[in-house]
Amino acid sequence: MKKPPTASLSTRFGRLLPLVVAALFSLPSAASRHFPADTITDYYEVENIALPKGLTAETGGLDVLPDGRLVACFHRGEVMIYDPKSKAWKLFAEGLHDPLGLLAISPREMLVMQRPELTRLRDTNGDGVADDYQTVTDDFGLSGNYHEFAFGPIRDKQGNIFIALNTASNGAGIFPEVRGRLDTLGRPGRMYSCVPYRGWIMKLTPDGKLHPFASGFRSPNSIGFDAAGNLYAADNQGDWLGTSKLYHVQEGKHYGHPASLVWKEGFPDINPLTLPVRALDSLRTVESIAFPHSRIANSPTQPVLDETGGKFGPFAGKMLIGEMDHPYLIRLMLETVDGQMQGACAPFLAGTALRRGNNRLAFAPDGSLYVGQTDHGWAGARGIQRIRWKGKVPMEVADMKLTPTGFDLTFTQPLDPATASEVINFQFKRYYYEYHQAYGSKQFDLKPVPVTAVRLSADGKTASLTLAEMKPGYIYELEMGPIRSATNQKLMNRLVCYTLNRLKKGDRPSNP
Amino acid sequence: MNKLLIRCTPAVLGLLSSVAALAQDTTLTIRAIEGLKFDVPRFVVRPGTRVHLTVDNYDDMAHNFVLTMPGARLRVVNTALNLSDQAVKLNYVPRTPDVVAHTAVVEPGKAEKISFVVQQEGVYPYVCTYPGHGYVMYGALYVTRRPGSVPPLEKDPNIAANRSENGDAHAGHNQPAHPYEPTFPTLYRTFMPDCGPAGIAVGLPGNQSYCWDAGACRLRYAWSGGFVDMTDQWDGNGRKPTHVIGDVYFRDKAGFPIRFSNTIVEPQVKFKGYRLVNRYPEFRYIANGIEVRELIKPLEKGRGLVRQFSLGPVAGPVYFVCKPGDGVKYRPSVGKIEGGLMRLPTGTKQFTITMIAE
Repeated sequence: MKKPPTASLSTRFGRLLPLVVAALFSLPSAASRHFPADTITDYYEVENIALPKGLTAETGGLDVLPDGRLVACFHRGEVMIYDPKSKAWKLFAEGLHDPLGLLAISPREMLVMQRPELTRLRDTNGDGVADDYQTVTDDFGLSGNYHEFAFGPIRDKQGNIFIALNTASNGAGIFPEVRGRLDTLGRPGRMYSCVPYRGWIMKLTPDGKLHPFASGFRSPNSIGFDAAGNLYAADNQGDWLGTSKLYHVQEGKHYGHPASLVWKEGFPDINPLTLPVRALDSLRTVESIAFPHSRIANSPTQPVLDETGGKFGPFAGKMLIGEMDHPYLIRLMLETVDGQMQGACAPFLAGTALRRGNNRLAFAPDGSLYVGQTDHGWAGARGIQRIRWKGKVPMEVADMKLTPTGFDLTFTQPLDPATASEVINFQFKRYYYEYHQAYGSKQFDLKPVPVTAVRLSADGKTASLTLAEMKPGYIYELEMGPIRSATNQKLMNRLVCYTLNRLKKGDRPSNP
Repeated sequence: MNKLLIRCTPAVLGLLSSVAALAQDTTLTIRAIEGLKFDVPRFVVRPGTRVHLTVDNYDDMAHNFVLTMPGARLRVVNTALNLSDQAVKLNYVPRTPDVVAHTAVVEPGKAEKISFVVQQEGVYPYVCTYPGHGYVMYGALYVTRRPGSVPPLEKDPNIAANRSENGDAHAGHNQPAHPYEPTFPTLYRTFMPDCGPAGIAVGLPGNQSYCWDAGACRLRYAWSGGFVDMTDQWDGNGRKPTHVIGDVYFRDKAGFPIRFSNTIVEPQVKFKGYRLVNRYPEFRYIANGIEVRELIKPLEKGRGLVRQFSLGPVAGPVYFVCKPGDGVKYRPSVGKIEGGLMRLPTGTKQFTITMIAE
C-alpha cells in the first residue's frame, strides 16, 4: 500500500476519510492474507520448559549463562542448570532459604540472594556441583518475620551489587531472637521495619561493604537496570502504596513507605507513623510509573532490559516487567521529562500461552526470553516458560512520549490513516491514587480527557495527540479503538497508561 | 452456635449442618488467612437458614467475600476484573444476579458482618474477588437437606486446591520433596525453632541432626531419631518454621563456646559461609578477628556429635566452654576441663570436642 500523505487532520475531516479507506479494504489485500487471524500468537510463541520430576517449580531466580544454559533457583532451596540443547536439568546447589534472585557469573560460580544473606556458590573441584557457599554479605537484619524477603542481586558496570530488602508484615510477629539491632520504633504499622534496613535497597561495593542506598520500599520484588544504567525497583500495592509502582532509585532518596525511615541516618528517634501524612509526603520521591491496580498490574515483579538488539521483536532497548496476577508481561516506556524519569506501561503478550505468576525474566543469547513463575502462597502459577519472537512485527505502541500539549504515540508500523486520525479512537481518562496509610487507594478525581486533534507523522508511525487538558500528578489512561496498521494489522494491545508527574516545558506548537 | 464449632474440621461440619436442621439462624466467622485462603474451606446449611456471617481479615492483604450462584464463581471473578474504574467503588463486586451476598473490601485486621438466606439447594461458591485472588481463594457453601451427601473434603471439587491439600496431609507426603534423592549429610537453611532467624538444619547419617545458627555462629541444639519436616515452612510464603523430627538431647546454654583472653565476654562473631566436605558442611566464621572452621560429624556409636575445630593464628589463650547441664558430656581431644572451661594448649591449631548424650 502507498504511504499515506502527511496528514494534519481536523476532527471533522478525520471522520470522512475512514469511509474512503474502508472501501479500499473491502477486498482482501495481500497484506491481510499474510495475517489471517492476526493474533499475538502469530508473532510470539511460548514454550513450556519440561521440569524434572519432583521439582516444586516456585521460581525465585533466573539467569542465563553465556553458553545459553539457564540457571534457576526455587523456593525449596535448589539451584539447577538447564541445558536447552539436551533439555536436561542438573542440580548445582541445594538447601538455600527461599532464594529469590540469582546472578550467574560462570558455570562454576553464582551469586544467590537467599533470605539470610547474599551467597556466592562455587564449584571449586569442577564436578558441576557447588561445594563452597560463601557469605558475601549478611550485614542486614532478620527478625524471623516471613515477609522479610530479599531480592536481587544485580550488578552495575562498576561492579557494585544491589539487593532489596522487604519489610516485615504484621500478619505475623518476629522471633524472640533477631539478627541485627531491634528498633521497636519501626515495629508499628502494617508492614514494618524493626531490624536494620528492611525496606531499603542496599549497595554492596567491590570492597565487600554493604551500604544503605535508598529507603521507602514496601515489597521491592524486584530490581533492574535500564540501558543507561539507571536503577529501578518495583513495589507492590498496599499500605502507603495506592497502587503498584516502579521507582527510579537514586542514592539517598526515600520512596514513600515510612517504616524504613527509622534506619535513615539523622532521622529523629520517633515512630515515623506519628508524622503527619503531609510531612511523610514531602520526604518522598514519587514513582516513575504507577501501574493502575488490576487494570495493568496487581503485583509487578522483575524489570529487565531488552538487550537483544531486535531478536525479541521491535522493543529492543526498552524494559519489560513481569506481573504476578495477569497472564502477561508489561512493557515500560520511560523518558526523562524535566530532569525526572517518568513514562508509560502497557500489557504485552496477553493472549499467548503465558501463565500467571511471572516472577522472573531472563533473556537468552538467542534473544528468547525465559519467564519463571511462582505463586508463593499468593495468586500465580508455577513453572518456567520460554518466549520466542517469530520474526513478524506486531502492530503495537512502540513508544509514548509526552509533548507540551499531549502525547506522541509511536507505533511499530505505519498507521492506517483512517482509523488513526479519528479522535474517537483515543479515549483518555485521568485519575490519581492517594498517598495514605490505608491499604491501596481508589482512583481520585477521575475524569475523561478529550483528544482534540490527531496529527500523523510523515512516516505514518507517530500519532501526535493534542489533549484538552494536561495535569501533572495524574495517570493518563489511554484506551484505543480499532486502530490498524497501513497493512491492515490490528493493534494488539489497546491500553496504555502514562504517569504524568511533570509537564513537558515548551510552547504549544502553532496550529498547522 | 459458637465460633468454636464453626472453625473446625470437615468431619465436624456435618454435625454443624444437623444442628441447623430446623433452618434456624446460624452464626459463623470465616477468616481470610495468609496464603489466599478462607480458613473455613466449606460449610453446610439447610435451605432457608439465615446465616449471620462475620468475615474477619487476618491476612496482610485486603479481601472481600462474595457468595455466588452455583457454578458462577469464575464468571463473577472475571466480571470483577473488568470493572475498570468502578472496581474500587463497587468493592470489586459486579452487580450481576450471579452474586447472592457480599461484603465490602475488608482491610487487613478488620471484620465485616453480613447476613443472608439461601432457599434453593445447591453448592454456592464463596470467593474473594479482589483482583487476582478469585482463582485461588474460595470455598463452598452447601445448601442441602441431606448433609450426608456432601463429599469428603479431599474429594470435594468445589473447594480451593490450596485447601484440599490441607485436608489430605498424606497426599503431600507421597510427593518427592526435591528433584533428587535426599542424601545424608544434607542441610536446609530455614527458620528453625529455638534459634535465631538465620537457622541451619543439618541432617547426618544415622538419624542424627543438629541446628546451627548462622547469626550467632554456633551449635544450638542436637537431636536424634530423624531430621526435619519442611512441609509447613514450604507452604506458601514460608511463615511457619521447620519442625524437628526426633528427640532433642542437647541444648546449648553457654552461648558462643570459644573464648579468648576474656573468658566471660563472648567474642564478636561474623558468619562467612561453609564448604561441603563429603557433603558435611564445614562452617567458617570470624571470632574477634580470628578465623574458625567447624565441621560436625555424628558420634559413631550412640547419640552425640564430634565437632572438629580449626583456628587461625591466635595470640594469647583460647578456651572452650563446656558447661554441664546441657544434656551432653564433653570429651576434648586436647586439654582438660576445669570449672566448665577447657583451656587449649598454646599454639593449638586443631582440636576436637566430642559431645556424648547423657
